[in-house]
Amino acid sequence: MAQRATVYRHSITTRLTHWAFFLAFLALISSGLQIFNAAPYLDASDKSNPARRVLSIDSTDAHAGITTIFGHRFTTTGILGYTDDGMGGKTDRAFPGWLTIPSYQALADGRRWHFFFAWIMVISGLLYVILGLLRGDLLELILRPADIPRILPMQLYYFRLRADPPPHGKYNPLQKLAYTSVLFIFAPLMILTGLALSPSFDAAFHPITALFGGRQFARLWHFVLMVILIGFSATHIILVATTGVINHLRSMITGWYRLGVHDGTGI
Amino acid sequence: MRRRLFIASSLSAALAGCSAIGTRLNDTRFHDVLNSAEPFDHLVLGTRGLAKEYAEADVDRNFRVNGFETPMDSAYATLMNGSYRAYRLVIDGAVERPRRLSLAQLRGMRLQTNITRHDCVEGWSAIGKFRGVRLSDVLQIAQPRPQARYVVFHCMDRSPEGLPYYESLNMHQASHPQALLVLDLNDRPIDADHGAPLRLRVPTQLGYKSAKWIARIEVVASFATIFSGRGGYWEDQGYEWYAGI
Repeated sequence: MAQRATVYRHSITTRLTHWAFFLAFLALISSGLQIFNAAPYLDASDKSNPARRVLSIDSTDAHAGITTIFGHRFTTTGILGYTDDGMGGKTDRAFPGWLTIPSYQALADGRRWHFFFAWIMVISGLLYVILGLLRGDLLELILRPADIPRILPMQLYYFRLRADPPPHGKYNPLQKLAYTSVLFIFAPLMILTGLALSPSFDAAFHPITALFGGRQFARLWHFVLMVILIGFSATHIILVATTGVINHLRSMITGWYRLGVHDGTGI
Repeated sequence: MRRRLFIASSLSAALAGCSAIGTRLNDTRFHDVLNSAEPFDHLVLGTRGLAKEYAEADVDRNFRVNGFETPMDSAYATLMNGSYRAYRLVIDGAVERPRRLSLAQLRGMRLQTNITRHDCVEGWSAIGKFRGVRLSDVLQIAQPRPQARYVVFHCMDRSPEGLPYYESLNMHQASHPQALLVLDLNDRPIDADHGAPLRLRVPTQLGYKSAKWIARIEVVASFATIFSGRGGYWEDQGYEWYAGI
């Protein structure tokens, strides 16, 4: 068996901002669902318009939870619409108490959490990108034209339809695609769609709100982007868990990572 | 007690059962930390630019009624039954010339119409056609003194617990060209459920700033001594004073 080198893989700022992202992301999702619960519907329009409703999470007088997506009704009692009130009982409520901050209905507190952790996320993100570019290690994560033809072979390798991954550096082409799109497309869109909900932002920068189709449409995009980012995070966690969880966790805490047979370094 | 519950249960759930962390965060200092974001939101977003003005076709003819129940007390009923002829808008506090203005006097001033979107803190939006007097014009005739920093709106409606509704703007927000004291909504004199005879309309801020059933405008140097001191009914319940986000 070949000697497997242990390398210093993650700088201190990468490790600190990674865990700041983790905490802020949890707080933003659960406080965001709390905010959603105050108006549990999403419209593809500028003002609220039931005729353009894409999603609603409602309840009936008989305490059935009803989730409607593009006009298709699903009974979701106990999970969505009629669910736990965060205080040991059940109530008419879109997302359940175990998913929201605070657990019970409290819009003012949810907003305070959301806007505080939004700053933590933005500041951590800026630090990560600026320091990563200054130090140069972020370049190892950014997708380059040469990586594009290697994306499909990498996916085939993940699907076990190919024996070996295409040659790559510290990150493989799929990792680069995922991280680059999150950092430079989805995260900025998340921030902009959130800002587009602000009436003061709308007054100062109306073209941006209009770009998303108006305030309610921006609220819908903000929700869709949350789903995308949860999908990214879930994939990230599954891959960490299945490709040497101890090694990965240690590298994101101490910085030191034991290289696998296919792991490269550099760009 | 509610705070105790919220910290203990929500954080412990979100952070995979770390109830110890939840308990450690259980104090008002933690809330001070969360609330520290507000001045930065205010600094970055501020009050600049004009809210988009919409076309007649965009107007919600049945403009959504929200907020407290329409006042039911005898004083309000008397006003309403007299078609608000006895209504006087009081403007006092840190002003050179305190005023009591009738609706006829307000209608005699320069009127302005804005079709703008009302954005509720709950998340929904509705578009209305608002006609009224510029707040800055009304303030100007009362002549705020140099120490004036905030404009407080005292209202006739009360919370279910009996607390009066009130709101406040700083002088910069109050001088915004779209900050209106609304007399007409959707081409009709504003009705009781929408805040008759006079409501505020601040399209660059969330709906709770746009106080309904205004009785008195008080110009102050500070709102620290008014009710719980946070500048508004909802602010006293924990909502941000800066309602631009």
